[in-house]
Amino acid sequence: MPEIILKNVTKRFGKFVAVDNLDLYIADRSFITLLGPSGCGKTTTLRMIAGLETPTEGEILIDGETVFSAEKGINVPPNKRDVGFLFQNYALWPHMTVYQNIAFGLENLKWEKKKIKSRVEEMLALLKIEQFVKRYPSELSGGQQQRVAIARTLAPSPKVLFMDEPLSNLDAKLRQEMRTELKRLHSDTNSTFVYVTHDQLEAMTLSTQVCLMNNGLLQQYDPPLKIYGGPANLFVAEFVGNPTMNFIPADVVKLEGNRVELTMLGKKALFQARDNVENLGEKAVLGVRPEFLPIQDGGAVKGHVYSTLPTGMETTVKVTCGDTMLTSVVFGNVDYPVDMPISLSANGDQLMLFDQQSGNAVGQGSLTIMD
Amino acid sequence: MLNPFSARQRARVRAFFGKPANIILVAFCAVLSVLTLYPLILLLLETVTVHAGKEVTSIKLPRGSFTLYSLKNIFATSRFNYSQLTFYQPLFNTLAVALTASLIAILFGGGVAWLITRTNLKCKKFISSVFVFPYIMPAWTLATFWATFFKNVNVGAGTSNGIMAAVFGIYMPEWFVYGYFPISLVLGLHYAPFAYILIGGILRNMDANLEEAATILKTRRWRMMMRITLPIVKPALLSTLLLVFSSAMSAYSVPIFLGSPVRYYVLSTKMMSLINNFPGQGYIIAAVMIIFGVSILAVNQKITGSRKSYTTVTGKSSQISLVNLRGGNWPIAIILTVLMILVAVVPLITFALESVIIKAGDYSLSNMTLDFWIGRNLNYLDQGDSTGILLSAKVLKALGYSLLLAITCSVVAGTSGVLVGYGIVKRRGSKLSTLVSNLSFFPYLMPSLAFGAIYLAMSTRVPGLQGFAVLALIGSVKYLPFASRSGVNAMLQLSGEIEEAAVIVGVPWYKRMIRILFPIQKSSFLSGYLLPMVSCMRELSLFVLLVPTSNTLLTTMLMQYSEKGWAQFGNAINLMIIIVVLLVNFLVNKVTGASIDKGVGG
Repeated sequence: MPEIILKNVTKRFGKFVAVDNLDLYIADRSFITLLGPSGCGKTTTLRMIAGLETPTEGEILIDGETVFSAEKGINVPPNKRDVGFLFQNYALWPHMTVYQNIAFGLENLKWEKKKIKSRVEEMLALLKIEQFVKRYPSELSGGQQQRVAIARTLAPSPKVLFMDEPLSNLDAKLRQEMRTELKRLHSDTNSTFVYVTHDQLEAMTLSTQVCLMNNGLLQQYDPPLKIYGGPANLFVAEFVGNPTMNFIPADVVKLEGNRVELTMLGKKALFQARDNVENLGEKAVLGVRPEFLPIQDGGAVKGHVYSTLPTGMETTVKVTCGDTMLTSVVFGNVDYPVDMPISLSANGDQLMLFDQQSGNAVGQGSLTIMD
Repeated sequence: MLNPFSARQRARVRAFFGKPANIILVAFCAVLSVLTLYPLILLLLETVTVHAGKEVTSIKLPRGSFTLYSLKNIFATSRFNYSQLTFYQPLFNTLAVALTASLIAILFGGGVAWLITRTNLKCKKFISSVFVFPYIMPAWTLATFWATFFKNVNVGAGTSNGIMAAVFGIYMPEWFVYGYFPISLVLGLHYAPFAYILIGGILRNMDANLEEAATILKTRRWRMMMRITLPIVKPALLSTLLLVFSSAMSAYSVPIFLGSPVRYYVLSTKMMSLINNFPGQGYIIAAVMIIFGVSILAVNQKITGSRKSYTTVTGKSSQISLVNLRGGNWPIAIILTVLMILVAVVPLITFALESVIIKAGDYSLSNMTLDFWIGRNLNYLDQGDSTGILLSAKVLKALGYSLLLAITCSVVAGTSGVLVGYGIVKRRGSKLSTLVSNLSFFPYLMPSLAFGAIYLAMSTRVPGLQGFAVLALIGSVKYLPFASRSGVNAMLQLSGEIEEAAVIVGVPWYKRMIRILFPIQKSSFLSGYLLPMVSCMRELSLFVLLVPTSNTLLTTMLMQYSEKGWAQFGNAINLMIIIVVLLVNFLVNKVTGASIDKGVGG
């Protein structure tokens, strides 16, 4: 069954390196998201796997077959790779009806007329768009167009389905709805999905594995919760999670095995990691997710309320602590007056310690504030 | 190693040519280089070559040898004032006419554009739709009208009186009928719609907020005009000035009708008279015209390149408050309307009238006949043909030949335009794409008559490139800029995804073009076919050097007839061409929504 392997794939546009030496293994039937800020190379990566873009270097295998190799001079055209592609702007052909849009690809594969008809009807039913069969794309709403585009892509039953920010043109409510449908579709169709997005929430909720990229470089390739809980570096830690993780600068006083003595926020603290801490310089950054920094009477970190942002289910509280602005999340609806003195404590064993110079994570563990 | 290239290099080449866009660009790069740069080199060679006939006898060198005689002769011969008469005076006349014409075009066209977009003028709709008429009609329409209307026995080689003298008894002086004044005026009027389209487009699209902001700051109208509006349209004004200047410079039909009767020569007409007896000198004038044309338009490219930053089209701002013309409103509207009728309608009536009178200068009903249109056995006429033009085999053959040429050029140029547009847009940003884009625009920079001269030079060297073949080739190349521009515009409006969605399901390239891309952008692509066709039907200067004697086009036949003084037939054919052009333009407009005033113009 289809697995996708990328070996040392590099794409250069002139001098600009869009994708730099990327290795990736995409398991069969997985739902992978390529996540990253715009211009990070995620779309280019997707287009290279699909065959719409030619890599400068490297090798790509789909289902054991080499579809691209710069070394051996192999480049299988997109239509021979047995892939489907869902475009950001749907790319529905405006001069064809919904039926024609879905059937056109099948006609091309020289299917029998009868078979085409039954397949199109099957697709229309799957995506609940039977009533629009004779309409033109311009007569459909954004969400309906999206469904037609999905039907068209799924019709030839591709082994792998590629999606390039397919939901970014929909409004928030519809996007939520389509996310649910896509996840359901993934389990129904039994195929491998590769999905590009810059929306971390989409990546978190949909995928089995997240491939986070920045500036053409792979940052981390892990399941969503691993990415959230154990970010590999400062970039990942900052990119994933909303509200953003707290980053507290700290000076390293002493390092012994898995124990790190720090001074931060004018206090002494002890960071106890699960494993031995290595590659840590003199300066460190402590990363604390807002949910691990609860407001607690008698907490060791003292500060003042800067602003309170209730969303209904939870409340984000911004706290100034000396020169540092900290974020805490409180469940439920609370409101604090501005400038009220408040104290926080750092809970749990999922706090992250980063080396400031390299930005890499050096340990995960708990923190005890000494005085 | 048997193969000097590694698998990797071979794969690169294969990948490069695996994309249809690359094949198209490479092919057109080669073809266009041959069709534009090669003839240019040939032309330069011809200026220093001895040609058969009079050149051999006066230079006393065998045909084909190298000589600087022509150069010396045309630029530096004081005997009989030869250089002055053959080159410097016509050059001066050309510059004077072109400058005056472009100023008239700007003032008149720009003025009307301002009146239409910025004032509460009456009859706007009528004026703006009739205003572009002279531009759609062939350039010589007004010229022939002027000549037939004002000619009289006192001027030029006058043999008969026109309507003005015959009906009203007013004999206009020579400077008014022929020469500098009417040539400049007629060219100015012909290109005024061009100025109107360019300047009006800017005024219409100009963000009204810019002017509103000035109004809020209590700027007075006059000051606003001088400090806000004019600076914003200035690049358009300059660009119009240059384009009209270069078009007027290479104009041929107007000076031949209004200049040659009094031996008033411009470069184009001088070149035409030299090209048969002293081709070397004719080609030198052609080269001079090309140098002028290319440099003027290069300057224009620079200006229009930066113009984009000026025009901010938001589409959000409301209509700005219009200037109230108050008491001046009706008089201006009436004057303009009358002028429009004089320029666009009266010529047609005049041609109709002139084509039915038997004895020139007598406009009584008893002197009228339809014989010139539908008569047979008219041997008494002594006008070269014995049959009315609608029945004449000769005329119908020319009409057929003209149509065949127009259709051929439109198919070749239009299809090339679609392909070039596809290639350029698909590989946008690459060097190859920029090169092809420039090459396909190059023919636009060439003055028609000089371009014709180049192809004449080429056709004498390349076997098989004669007759219809060379006409079709030059027409296709000359109008490629129109077609490729529509092609590029059409492709730019299509997102790349539309095609990729078909690539993914394995639709072959030709099928993507025919089933997906073309149908979606039908009207843009079609206007790329139809602009060359309309232009081809009314083209004279491009073909005049190349038309074979056995087969004439309607336009060259018109020239012939008017040179021979067969006025009635000439006028009838003139009317026929104008009607065919207007008809094609009208059909095009109705069927596709494409119209000539959206084109690049020229």
